[in-house]
Amino acid sequence: MRTNAFNRGEHVALAARILLAVLGGYACCWGVVALFAAATFALGAEFHDGETLGSILALLLYPAAFLWAFAARRLWLAGTVLVGSGALMAGTASLIQSVLT
Amino acid sequence: MFQSFRHAATWVHTWFGLVLGFVLVVVFFFGSLSVFDREIDRWAIPESRFEPQPMPSFDKVLRPVFDTMQPMKESVDAMRGKVDGPMPERFDTVRSWSAYTTHRDPVLLLWASYEVPGAQDPHDRVWGNRTIDPRSGKVFPDDQLKIGSQFFYPLHYGLTLEWQDLGAWIVGFAGLVMLVALISGVVMHRKLFREYFTFRPTRNIQRSVLDLHNMTGVLALPFHFFFAFTGLLIFAGHYFPVTHTQLEPLHELHEKIEEQQTGLPQDRAGVPAPLASVDAMVAEARRRWTAKGMAGEVGLVSANHVGDVNGYVSVWRAGTDRIANVSDGIHFKASTGEVLYEEPPLTAVGSVGNFLIGLHLQHFRHWLLRWFYVLGGLMGTVCLATGLIFFVEKRKKQHAKAGGQSRRVVDALAVSTITGMLVATMSILVANRLLPEALPSGWPPRGDMERYVFWGGWALAMIHAFVRSAPVAMDRLNPAWHEQCWAVAIMAVAAMLLNWITTGDHLLRTIGAGYWPVAGVDLSLLVTAGLAVLSARRLGRKALAAMPVPRGGTAHA
Repeated sequence: MRTNAFNRGEHVALAARILLAVLGGYACCWGVVALFAAATFALGAEFHDGETLGSILALLLYPAAFLWAFAARRLWLAGTVLVGSGALMAGTASLIQSVLT
Repeated sequence: MFQSFRHAATWVHTWFGLVLGFVLVVVFFFGSLSVFDREIDRWAIPESRFEPQPMPSFDKVLRPVFDTMQPMKESVDAMRGKVDGPMPERFDTVRSWSAYTTHRDPVLLLWASYEVPGAQDPHDRVWGNRTIDPRSGKVFPDDQLKIGSQFFYPLHYGLTLEWQDLGAWIVGFAGLVMLVALISGVVMHRKLFREYFTFRPTRNIQRSVLDLHNMTGVLALPFHFFFAFTGLLIFAGHYFPVTHTQLEPLHELHEKIEEQQTGLPQDRAGVPAPLASVDAMVAEARRRWTAKGMAGEVGLVSANHVGDVNGYVSVWRAGTDRIANVSDGIHFKASTGEVLYEEPPLTAVGSVGNFLIGLHLQHFRHWLLRWFYVLGGLMGTVCLATGLIFFVEKRKKQHAKAGGQSRRVVDALAVSTITGMLVATMSILVANRLLPEALPSGWPPRGDMERYVFWGGWALAMIHAFVRSAPVAMDRLNPAWHEQCWAVAIMAVAAMLLNWITTGDHLLRTIGAGYWPVAGVDLSLLVTAGLAVLSARRLGRKALAAMPVPRGGTAHA
């Protein structure tokens, strides 16, 4: 693809996708780690096992989310899914925490 | 905006690969060297050239050294501003003393951490370390730089940019981009297996560079993916500090429960108590390992809350014959020596995590695999380097026509990163042998001088690359490529010779004595010199062949 063929509007869209890939992907992965750590603890498993398992999954998920942010046809959909799921998972983790502590 | 997934993948591969490729070359190259970090340490510190030693007696050898230790100035300085009230002159509340050794360590590194009175975050510690000869307890000077484990290794995972852990974050992002680039690279090249067997070294530079990029990328694909992934996993707690921010309360709850289950106190009681014989505890730990059918050496020993009734000592088995660094820890009450807690078998998740991380760090004994790590790491370096060169070559012609200068910059950066990195590496080795043992007073410590030479050598290589970059704008080869290859060859041979002159350890002697740490580094220097000469001659010919292009002519070589 000829990259210099981007016009002004596309440059903005590209910047948005880069931000989404990096930060949206991060938010989603943060949620995964938080949810796994809190949920495994609530289920009585070893706390750091949940963190390790969440980290392994998050680090496999991150590159996929990263690429999806560029490949997705609808940017808003990818944004909603990545940031939304991250917030939902992190929120659930905090909820579990507030019940337990 | 992209016509297809493949277009998106190609764009991501090209541009993120370009920007982070420079970082990844450094990470892969110094990671490859770190596989033999201890051996490079032996080369750099001649006094430490003896056989690996087991963990020495704690009571007779380690205790007297620990007793005299204090935190490093850097660590105390880093605490300033995080303390209410004045910073104490001396630190006497020991949080932990620890010593870690592997089957490749002649010298022993000791760590001590101290509680800081008035610290705003009570978890904060100040740290000190010391390197000793475990046979005698003799302390090595602090200004000696272990070039392998204290410089190349930190470069590998954090670029030695310690401010705000910036280096570790850059490397982490680069690691993510490596994973992304591997996936997008596979998506780009659907004809994966044909490219596996395609290498046309005699065709034009652009073609052969791409072939080499694909070959090294595909051939070692599982290796690259595994190491980028596990490298990120090692630092996962750093990159996603969930349990120390959002889930801090849950983490504290977990620590309280763990304290009850294991009987290992989190804090001091404030009641003084002596430290019983640690050697007796080590003997008991070894007896228990033998009873389990897994007799072994001590890898890690640590004393916690020293001098307090809540103190405990942990003894861990070395992972020489295991993937995990250490295992089967047994904890003792420091004041009496009774067993408090024996680590249970790992959970399934714990085993998987230990396996992934242990395989990356490779503290176990397997010399063939160790060499495969170097090979894989260097293939990764070549893959990244050729990717950068391909980027330039592909665009050089069209930019030469359009009169753009940006490829000059990218090409000069590629020279700086690839051959410049080798120049810097050779500079620090040469400096290590050339600097006098004792520097004049007022000079920086010797180890710091070596670092400065490394960065100075790299900066010079960069300046050279930019100064010589004019031909790139005319679709020709930057002569800095082959000139720096010559510099690398000369310095590699010089480092080998200087080792001979300053220590008397020439290759015949080290090979004859079977002292492979030093012989291996010397031999690697010679191989590096040989490869650099070959590359220099080839690149020199190419640069010459492209020379007589008339201005504005169409006869491109």
